[in-house]
Order: sequence, then structure tokens, then C-alpha cells
Amino acid sequence: MARLGTARWCVTVLLLLVLSIALVGCSSASSSSTGSGSSGSSGSPIKVGAILSLTGPYAALGASEKNALELEVKRINDAGGLGGSQIEVIIEDDATDEAKAVAAATKLIEQDKVVAILGATGTGQSMAVRTVINRAGVPQISMAGGNAITGTFDPLVFQTPWPNSIIVPFVLKKMATDGHTKIAVLSDSSGYGKDGLAIITADAPKNGMTIVANEVFKPGDTDYSAQLTKVKNSGADAILLWTAGKEGAAIVKQAESLGLKLPMYGGSGQAKIEFPKGAGTAAEGFVFGTGKSLVPANWGAGTDEFKVVDDFATRYQAAYGAAPDIFAGHAFDALNIFADSVKRSGGDTSAAKLRDAIEQTSGLVGFGGKFTFSSSDHNGLAEKDLSLYKIVNGTWVPIQ
Amino acid sequence: MSALLQFLIAGLKNGAIYSLVALGFTIVYAATGAINFAQGEFFMLGGMLGVLLVNLGLPLPIALLLAVVGTAAIGALFEVLAIRPIADGDPLRIIMVTIGGSVLLRQIALHIFGPDEVPLPPFTQGTSIKVLGAAIELQTVWIWVLTAIAMLGLFVLYRRTAFGRAMRATAINREAARLVGIDTRFMVTASFALAAGLGAVAGLAVAPLTQTAFDVGAGIGVKGFSAAILGGLGNPVAAVGGGLILGMMESLTAGYINPLYKDAVALVVLLAVLFVRPQGLFGGSGREKV
Repeated sequence: MARLGTARWCVTVLLLLVLSIALVGCSSASSSSTGSGSSGSSGSPIKVGAILSLTGPYAALGASEKNALELEVKRINDAGGLGGSQIEVIIEDDATDEAKAVAAATKLIEQDKVVAILGATGTGQSMAVRTVINRAGVPQISMAGGNAITGTFDPLVFQTPWPNSIIVPFVLKKMATDGHTKIAVLSDSSGYGKDGLAIITADAPKNGMTIVANEVFKPGDTDYSAQLTKVKNSGADAILLWTAGKEGAAIVKQAESLGLKLPMYGGSGQAKIEFPKGAGTAAEGFVFGTGKSLVPANWGAGTDEFKVVDDFATRYQAAYGAAPDIFAGHAFDALNIFADSVKRSGGDTSAAKLRDAIEQTSGLVGFGGKFTFSSSDHNGLAEKDLSLYKIVNGTWVPIQ
Repeated sequence: MSALLQFLIAGLKNGAIYSLVALGFTIVYAATGAINFAQGEFFMLGGMLGVLLVNLGLPLPIALLLAVVGTAAIGALFEVLAIRPIADGDPLRIIMVTIGGSVLLRQIALHIFGPDEVPLPPFTQGTSIKVLGAAIELQTVWIWVLTAIAMLGLFVLYRRTAFGRAMRATAINREAARLVGIDTRFMVTASFALAAGLGAVAGLAVAPLTQTAFDVGAGIGVKGFSAAILGGLGNPVAAVGGGLILGMMESLTAGYINPLYKDAVALVVLLAVLFVRPQGLFGGSGREKV
């Protein structure tokens, strides 16, 4: 009995030690703040919250966004901050889950008293926090591509990526030009996928194409045999994939192993290096549409856009050893729009003034293009900011 | 016709994975009378360790073997630290501890491996085998082969070796086993190690197809558990049967009803079995558990 007692005591202490390490580790992984703490600041730090998907199907997107936010905050703070005040970004992980995103928004607004929310990474999560945003009156700059984010207009919500409403028609036009008439659509059931599917269904006939297969998969799903088998038997001559999650690589890989050899197209969701890396040879020849800034040279040397995007890409590469993907770019834009708005409002970060200042953004050159908001347009981007790309040898090259 | 065949192949592939996980549940249940809800995390650890070892430069077969052994060792360690102190107590306590253990293992994996999905190379390279218009990936063949070896191995272990007989004795009546000189505590540890090893084999076998990440454990745990309940807890053959049947039901639901309902099938099956036939499809009178 005494021996058992000692053993039990030792195990208890060991477990408590492990538990406390885990708790300390957990709390720093799920919420971290960067910024204030560098050179002396005259005022209290300006706190902005960021809801990012650091885990879950959008983990790759969230990681890029976190890198970009930290890079930009450091740059602004080292240059003196905004009107002498340092920026502090408080990052919360929503794990690509809408309920967690709402909890994160509530925590950021009520506990951390942030003046604005950047995010979320995903469309579903961005829409889910809208009630919290409206209740608090705090402006939101979303980094997700769903059309509904600014399509379903809300005076407090702004959007930095190219929304589905301009990318979908752009990609469909390319598919029609390539001579496809019967297409199969593979989309996921997330906010982004559903949003894209609605626009695809409406616009495909306008380009002379019929949808002969419409298959949906759940985010987090790992087996797509059912959907791919139905696509194979549908007689389609091309596949349009609409997802931003890690499923993109797996589904393309499984399509190849099932012997599905149709040309495949997609959108911004595939504009990340994890896609060709995860899919390997199966992604060769994949065509997707996204912003010109993915390859800065697209703008042409000497243009304002090229200067801004190339500078960001160089600094990002130096800091992280890899070129920024579009998701880093969307976060870059969100933070810079926020910083520019604070400057224009004269440092006034009260909710109403800040929102008005954001809405008055005009001609701000960013990764997405030149941002000009208005009281009816909270995105400001158009098809001229887009380009087509093809996966060749494991990376993307711009094509016509 | 070829579509049906493709659905059946997918069903048997996933079913084999569920079988391996369900075997893990069954073995631990037989030894302790409790459900080990950390079984899904052993599945995850197998895949993650395999990726880690491959990235360290080890040749694939060595990495796979070490990953299985490593996960089995973690399973044994888990048992010694968390289960043994309360092993003679209430099965409910053991269940709660395993739930806590699964959360801990998942968070530790997140901290060590990060949140990203990682791929494992296929065990053999090559194109899929084409059969009557359907395609069977080579990795799927590996999954079936490994499941068959696991079943055969367990059969030989339980029926032909003294060690296996000792495990069965412990499962039938622990007091009596102790009286005849069997180290029952070691048998329980060995059961956990065996269950963890089987989970790791499943995780490694499917990782080349689906990639793996720190959070794949929870989902597979639920499905493996449903498969074990469907077959009937306590009988390894029943576990495999339950796994294969669940895999087929999922695949046919995805193919002919709606792919979005696929994940619901396991839960519906679980509820249905518990309401209608709690001892499972193949569960007998419960006389002998292994």
C-alpha cells in the first residue's frame, strides 16, 4: 500500500507538471499579440484584433496571414507607429470553425477592447461574426473571398480579397474559351464553397456551358470516391473546383488515382504552395484565376502596384524564406487599410470615425489592387486586377 | 455498374481502416471493461510519427516499423501512467481518463508537429489497378493486406500462443487469472500497446491517401467506436466485420443518397445498434470476450 501511495504521488506531480506546460503552451498558441513593446510610445497602443484560422482546413491560409500581419505591424511600429502610438495586433485562432470565430470576436471586442477586427480567414467565419460586429459597432475588414461579405452589404464590413463575384466569371470565361461546354463542379460545403457554387450555377449558362455534375464535399472530408465517380460518369469535359481548404490537394490527387483525366480549373483557393506540394504530379496543368499580385511582375515594372507588391514580396521572402501567397497579401492589405484609415482620421479610433475613415479609402495601392471604397462598395476591386495561372513543374506561371 | 464497384472498393478501403481502429477498442474493452477514447489519437500518432521519421531521412519500411513500435510504446506508457493507478476501479473512471488523455495527446501533437497537414509517401509507387471500369489504388491494396495480416496475427496470438491465452484469461475473469499466476497488470498494459499499435498501422496505411494532421484522431475514433459497437464489443472478428460493414454503408450512402451525409452514418448506426441490438450484429451471449 505504501509503495502504491508513493507511485501515485509521483504520477500526480508528473501529470500536474505536464498539464501546466500544456496550458501555458496552449494559451500562447491560441492567442498572441505582437507589436507594442518596441521603442517608447507616446500614447497607449492601438489595439486591433485578428481572427485567423491557424488550425483546421484553412490552417495554411491563417499561417500566411499571421506572417504578413506580424511583418507589417513590425514595419509600422519600427517607423514610429501610427501618430506616435504603437499598433498591437491580438491574434485569435478560430480553428476554421464558425462558433469559435464568434467566440473569438466576442473576446477581442469585450475583453481586449480592440478598435477593429481583421478577419476572418474564411467566408463562413467572417459572416458568422457579423452579429457581434453589429452589436458592438466595431468595423471589420475581412480577408475572405465570399461574395456575400460585401454583396450582402453591411456598413461595418469591408473586404480585401477579390470576391467570388469577379473571380468566378473570370474563370468561367477561360473555360468557355478553352472550348468546354459540359462542366462538372466540385465544391465544398463551407461558406466560401457555397458562395462560389451559387455564382457558378448562375453564370455557367451565360458562357454557353451546362453543369452536368454538381458534387459537394464537406470540409475535413478525406475520401471523395463518391463525388469523383459521379463526375467520371457524367460525361463532363472539364472540372471546376471551388474550395480554399486543404481538401483541394487531396481531391486532385484522388482524381488522378481514379483515372480521371479531365482538365481542371479553380480559383483563389489553390493559390498557395501547399496545393501543388500536396497534390504532386496530379496538379500539373491545373488552371486557376486569382489576382495579378501573385506574380508581381504581372503589373509591369514601374507601376505603383508593382512597387508596393514587389517590396512586400521581397521583405516577406527575407523574413520567412518563401514568397508570399495571396492570403498573406490579403492580410497585408487589411492591416494597411486599417493603418491608412487611422492616419486619415487623425488618430481617432472611435468606432464611428474609424469606420468612416475606412470607407473613405481612396486610391490606396495594395496587394489586391488599388482600393477605393464608397458607401456602396466596400471592396473596390475588379476583373482588371486578376490574372490566370497554370501549375507547371510544381509552381504557378501566369498564362493568358 | 462500374460506379457501384468503385463505391464498394471505397467502402472496403475505409472499412478496413475502421476495422483496425475497432480492433483497438475491442482489445482494450476485453482487458479492462472500459472504452479507450484515446484510440483515435493512437491512429493520429502513428501517421505523425511515420512522417517525422521519413523526414528525418529513414527509409520508408524502417520508418513505418518504428512508428508502429513507437506508438505502441506510447500506448503502454499511457496505460501505466493514467490507467494502471485506477485500473481496479470503476470503468467509468477509466473512460473519463481516456477522454482527458485524448485531448492531452492531441494538444501535445499540435505543439510538436504544428497544425499543418503532412503527406506520407505511398508504400509502393505505381498507377492504380483497373478492374471492370473501377480503379483500385495500390495503397488500398496495402490497407487490405495489412488488415488481413493484423487479423491473422491476432488470431494466431490469441488461439495459439501462451501469451494470447493469458490475455484471454485476463479478459474472462481477472481474479481467476491472477490466481493462476498471470500478471494481469502486464496483460492490461500489453492490451493497450497492442491497440495502439493497430491504430498506428491504420494511421500509417491511410496517410498516403489522405495526408495526416494533429486533429484526425477524434473523427476516426468516433467511427472506429461505432464500428466496434456495430460488430459487437469484445470479439475481434466482430470488430472487423463491423468495420467493413460501416465502411460500405458510408460509401453507399455517399454514392447513392448524398455525400454530405456520409459522416452522419456512423452516428446513426451507433444509435440504432444501441437501441435495437446493443450486443452488436455478431455479439453473442458475452460469455467469452476475446
